[in-house]
Amino acid sequence: MKKTNKKVINVAKILAPIVGSRDLMSVLAEAINKADAKSVDLDFREVEFVSRSAAHALLLMKEDLQRKWLNKKYIAFVNASKNVQEMFRVVASNRAVPKLNNLDIKIEKTDIKSLAKCSC
Amino acid sequence: MQKIFIQPPHDDSLTSQLVCLYNSFKGLPFNEPRNFDISSISWFYPLLVLPISAHVNCFASQFIKNENNPNHSYLNAISFPQGVDTVSVFQQQIQAHKNFIPISTLKKDKGADRERLESLFSQMVYKILGSISGAQNAVHYPITEIVTNIFDHSQQDQGFIFGQFYPKKNYLDICIVDCGRGLSKAYADEKNLKLSDVDSIIEVLKGHSTKPSVERGYGVRTSKRVICECLGGEFILLSGSAAFIATGKKEKVVDLPEFYWQGVVVAYRIPKPVGAMDISQYLE
Repeated sequence: MKKTNKKVINVAKILAPIVGSRDLMSVLAEAINKADAKSVDLDFREVEFVSRSAAHALLLMKEDLQRKWLNKKYIAFVNASKNVQEMFRVVASNRAVPKLNNLDIKIEKTDIKSLAKCSC
Repeated sequence: MQKIFIQPPHDDSLTSQLVCLYNSFKGLPFNEPRNFDISSISWFYPLLVLPISAHVNCFASQFIKNENNPNHSYLNAISFPQGVDTVSVFQQQIQAHKNFIPISTLKKDKGADRERLESLFSQMVYKILGSISGAQNAVHYPITEIVTNIFDHSQQDQGFIFGQFYPKKNYLDICIVDCGRGLSKAYADEKNLKLSDVDSIIEVLKGHSTKPSVERGYGVRTSKRVICECLGGEFILLSGSAAFIATGKKEKVVDLPEFYWQGVVVAYRIPKPVGAMDISQYLE
C-alpha cells in the first residue's frame, strides 16, 4: 500500500490527558510505527500536562524515529498547550546544555529519637 | 502472623506520621505478613494508611479495624486496603464518596489504562484543591515524576498512590509507595555502587541517576523543589532504613534502625494553592 503524506495521532486518546510515564512511550511508538505515513503529527490538543520524564522520552523517540534507516518517520508535536510547550522547551534546552547534576549537597543527619522528640 | 498495634501519631505533622510508621514496622522482617491492629486509630493519614495498604496487597498482611468507630467508615470510602485499579471503579467510588479520593493501585501490565487512572487521580486532586487556575502544573508535576520512577526503577509491577485534602486545615497530603528493590539496590544493580540507604537518598537528591544518560536524574530533586519551594510544602523520601525530610529550607536525613522498607515511600504535604504559580524556575 502506498504511504499517505501525513497521519495525525491523538496523544490523549492513545495514552491519557496527563502524560506522565516514560515506560509507556512504547505504546505511542507502536501507534506511530503502524501509521501508514512518513509524517506523523502527535496531536496534544487534549493533553493537559506532560511530565518532564515523558517529555524527555518523547523527544528521544522523535529523534530515534527520524534517524531510522527503514520506516523513517518525521514527527511533529502539534496543538500543544502553552504549559506543554514550555515543558518540551525546558527538557530540550537541558538536552542541548545539561545543567550540572551531582551537586555537592550537605544535609544534616539526625536520629529517630531526636525526630520523635521534635514531633511530640 | 505477628500482631502489630498501630499507635496514633502524636500530632498531625508529617514527621509524627513518619515516626508512627517507623514504630509500626520496626523490628520485623519486611516481607513477612503481619496483622495490623488499626482499631485505636481515629484519623488515617496517607503516610500511615498507604504503606499498610501496600503491605496487605504485596505480602498478604491482614488488619483489624474497629467496626464501632464511625471514623472507620472512611476506610471503605477510600477503598482500603485493596485500592482501585481501573478508571471505572475509581469513578464509581468518587460518585459514592464525593470528597474522598480512593487508594489507587497502578499496575504496570495495564499499560495506557494505568496512565488514565493516574490522570484521573491527579485531576481529582487538582479539583479537590479548588481547581486554582495556573496551579495545575505544580500539582501534576510531582505526582507524575514520582510515579514514573516506580515503573522505571523499582522493578515491581505495581505501585500505590493516595491523597487526602483536609479542608479545615487547608492542606493536602499525598503518599506514593512501592515495594520494589529500593534505592540502594538500584545503585548496586545498575552502577555497581555499594551505598548505605542514607547515602543512596543523598545521591538521588544530587541527581545521580542509575541510568547512563546525563540528562536523567532530575525527577525527585525537582519534585522536592516544586513541593517545598514553589508550593511551600513538606517532603519525605524513605527507602530501606533511612528517610529524608524537607520542611521549607530545612533538610535532614535520618537513619531508621531496626526498620526496613523494601522499596520507596514518598509523602508530601502542600498547602492549598491560592493563585497561579510558575514551576519552570524549579525544573532546572
